[in-house]
This record gives sequence, C-alpha cells and structure tokens, in this order.
Amino acid sequence: MERLASIPGLPPILACAGLLATWEIAARLLAIDGLPPASAALAQVPAILGDPEALLNIAASLRRMAVGFALGVAFAVPIGLMMGRSQYVAAFFNPLLMIIYPVPKAALMPIIMLWLGVGDASKTLVIFLGVTLPVIYHSYQGARAVEERMLWSAAAMGMGPLARLTHIVLPAALPEILVGCRTGLVLALITMVTSEMITRQTGVGNILFNSLDMAQYDTVYAMIVIIGGLGFALDAAFEALRSRLVRWAEPSHDLVVGTT
Amino acid sequence: MLVVPSRDGAAVTSTAKIAIEAVSKTFETKRGRPHLAISDISLQVAEGEFVSVLGPSGCGKSTLLYIVGGFVAPSTGSVTVSGQPVTGPGPDRGPVFQEFALFPWKTVLGNVMYGLKQQGVAKAEAQSRVRELLAMVHLSGFENFYPKELSGGMKQRVAIARTLAYEPSILLMDEPFGALDAHTRTRLQNDLLAIWERRRKTVLFVTHSVEEAVFLSDRVVVITRSPGRLKEIIPIALARPRDRATLLLDRRYQDYVVGIERLMDEPGEEEPAEDGG
Repeated sequence: MERLASIPGLPPILACAGLLATWEIAARLLAIDGLPPASAALAQVPAILGDPEALLNIAASLRRMAVGFALGVAFAVPIGLMMGRSQYVAAFFNPLLMIIYPVPKAALMPIIMLWLGVGDASKTLVIFLGVTLPVIYHSYQGARAVEERMLWSAAAMGMGPLARLTHIVLPAALPEILVGCRTGLVLALITMVTSEMITRQTGVGNILFNSLDMAQYDTVYAMIVIIGGLGFALDAAFEALRSRLVRWAEPSHDLVVGTT
Repeated sequence: MLVVPSRDGAAVTSTAKIAIEAVSKTFETKRGRPHLAISDISLQVAEGEFVSVLGPSGCGKSTLLYIVGGFVAPSTGSVTVSGQPVTGPGPDRGPVFQEFALFPWKTVLGNVMYGLKQQGVAKAEAQSRVRELLAMVHLSGFENFYPKELSGGMKQRVAIARTLAYEPSILLMDEPFGALDAHTRTRLQNDLLAIWERRRKTVLFVTHSVEEAVFLSDRVVVITRSPGRLKEIIPIALARPRDRATLLLDRRYQDYVVGIERLMDEPGEEEPAEDGG
C-alpha cells in the first residue's frame, strides 16, 4: 500500500475511481430516478460540451465570474491594505464587514434583482460581493503583519506613505492576499452558479435547473461534474500563477548558502 | 561645539553631527498605564564618530535610536542632525536593524539597489555602485539570491550594503549583530570596522554587549534600566585601526570591559518594574 501510494499521481486517481465506482454501484442498487449511474451522467458531458448553446452559456458564466472577481479584487485589496496599516480605517470598516460577513451573498440576490434586473449586472454584483470579503480579510491580515522595520527602512530611503503602501506593503502582503484571492475564486464560482439558479436566464446554473425541471437527471449530474471540473481547473491555474508570483516566499525552496 | 577624543586619544573639537537634547519617551502599556522608557537623555555625537549606546535589554536604548532616526517621536526634548531638527526619517540617517528587515521579494541586487532607485540614481551608475558595495561586504556572486536563501550573517551584510548604498552620513545600528552566532558576530564586527575606516560615517550603535561596544567605539554611552537614563559616557582611547586579537591581550581593553561591566552591575536608582522598549 505504501509503495503504491508513493507513485506520484496515483492516489488521487484511485480516489476519483473509488468515488465513481461507489456512485455507479449505489445508483444501480438503489435504482431511483434522481440518481442516474455515473456512466450515464459522464456520457452526457461530451454532449453538453459539444452543444454550441451550452458552450455560450458556460462562456457567459465565466465572463461574469471573471468580471466580478476582477472588480472584487481591485476593490478589496486597497481597502484591506489600508485597514491593515491604519487603525482608523480598520475601526471604520470592521463593523461593516462584521455585519455583511454572515449574510449569504446569494440571499441578497432578490433585492439586487429589484434594483438592477435579472441581467448581467445583478449576477456580476453578487459575485463581486462574494469575492470581496475573503480578499479584504486576507489583505488586512497580510498588511497588518508587515514588519514595521521594513517600512522604516523604506521611509529612511525617502519613500512617502503612499509609495510605501504600494511598493512595500503590497508586495510584502502578497502571499497572504493571494490566499484570499484563491478563496475568493472558489466563492466566485459558487455565487456565480447560485445567482444563475435564482435568475434563470443564462449560464451553467440555468442549464442545471432547466434539466432538473425536465427530469433530465443525467444532464443535471453532468453539469455538476462540469462545474466541478471548471472549479478544479480554475483553482489549479490560479495556484500555478500564485506560486510563480510568490516564489520568493515559498519555504519549500529554502536553500541556505554559506555560514556567515 | 564639544570635545571628543581623537584617534590617538587627544582631545579635539568638532561640531555636533547629532545633538540629542533632554529626550524622554513615555509609552502607553497594553494595560493603558504610561511607561517611561527613556528619561532626560542628552548626548552629542561628532561627525565621523563611532558611539555605542550600551545597556541591559529593556532599557530603552533602541527607542533612543528610533527617535534619532525619526521613526518614533520623543515625548519631550528634541534631536537635531547636522543642525536641522529631526521631524521624520530621512536618507541622511540609514538604519540597520537586528531583524535585517530586508525586502524578501527582492533579490540581493534588488535590495541594495532599492534606495538608489528612490534617490533617482541612473541605473548604470547605481549598478556599478552596488557591485562595488557587494564586493566590500563579501557578497559578490550572490546578486540574484533571495533573502530567504541566505544565512543570518549574509542577510545582515545585505542590509548593511543596502543602507550604505544611498550614502547616509549617519548609520543607526540597532543591535545589528544581536541575532547572529558568536563567530559570525566577530567577523561582522571586523568587517564593519574595516568599512568604517574607509567610509568614516558617523555611527550610533546600540548593543547590550560590553565587548562589542568597547571594541568598536570611540565612546560608550551607558544607559540604566527602567527608565533608561544616561549613566556615564566612557571615551575608549584605544588606537585604530583595531585588531581583535591584539586588543583581547591588551590590558587597557580588558580594563575598559571590566570597568564598564562593574558600572552596569551597580544598582540603579529604581529597580526594574516592568520590561519595555
């Protein structure tokens, strides 16, 4: 077992195979409408990915997600950094964040739809809200942890407060900011699907619920697999980007040279 | 004008480079009580002089250095540098901290170049200056290493080069070798003296090591604990350039060390109530 587990890439493949096998066997034993076998669901995946209509829906979803995510990060990082470096800014924003934090962002969707309709604006806004909080929180923590003496060293070189925020605090907090962005990316995917389930206009959430209404259960499961795959691919891509950006901070690359 | 010993011990006069006038600093503790870290310290440092501030940990000696650096404002009193009152940090006073405080996302080259970039020095000029500095601190060949890849001693060499790069006239050194092992510490002390012999910066050097203070300094300023008060200023009339092995065998060096240790052991006017600064 230890030997097998040491082959790289094998344990995750085994885990996936085990999950699919359990699903297949359970579906065949239980034989209920709402749980088609894994094989039937997976067979629908190429069909969906080959359908131009479905692809347009997926593209529309991803576009909203990208816009919501980008706006969320652009908004949250400066606020988090300023909160981390100024106790006044922190005292101002903290209570607001405390109130917003426990509210499921999708629960705001009905109100947002009243304001902005059921189009892209509402869905993008709710994705934006989902992304914002974890990114603010981690930017705040990252900025707070920046060593005071690093900022003093920069100040002695003649850097003003704004330059220190963008040129010292931002890069120093980047590893922590990117942890927040990674959480934000997953939350963006979740709020994206939820918002489409509520508005039922376009997107992957809409395909999923339409299939459910028409009792096309294998399509429902196929969509869940596709959404899961999207999430996995986006997370892996982000992780690759993250580790490139903060290679200087990765402890796994530690290689101390010399003795003095 | 003040009187300081010259290199051969004779008195010469010079204008004060750093003038600390009756500086006190009160912090608020976590429990909200005021804590007097340093009390009524006055000190003048001449141009090109190497002065150590010596005291037990928690005596506020680092606070004094931060006030000269402009990083911390004094509660009362004032500091002037080259005749100008200190209102904040400036490139005339280069700090070197015990914690190195390097920019971890920058390579060795990037760290040392940073201050020159801030001063608007042209890139080619900056690079040649930086390469010369790295040679001086024995780090040639490590230009593209990141701080995390270096040992503590090498990190401190980078920090010293980074500060020397923008050519401050004053070095403010806050227990710079305190985090290093004894061997590395000795090597860096020797290297620092060699650099100082060449560049003749004014140095204010905070330490809790008596030997370090005597070995490096023209004068040693002894600070008491809680609150930090100036106890005594001891001129170190040992010839320069100094060689460690020779000094260790030198009776006068030994007398300085023993004398200052005794001085520090004397009970203060107030027993320490709590640690701070």
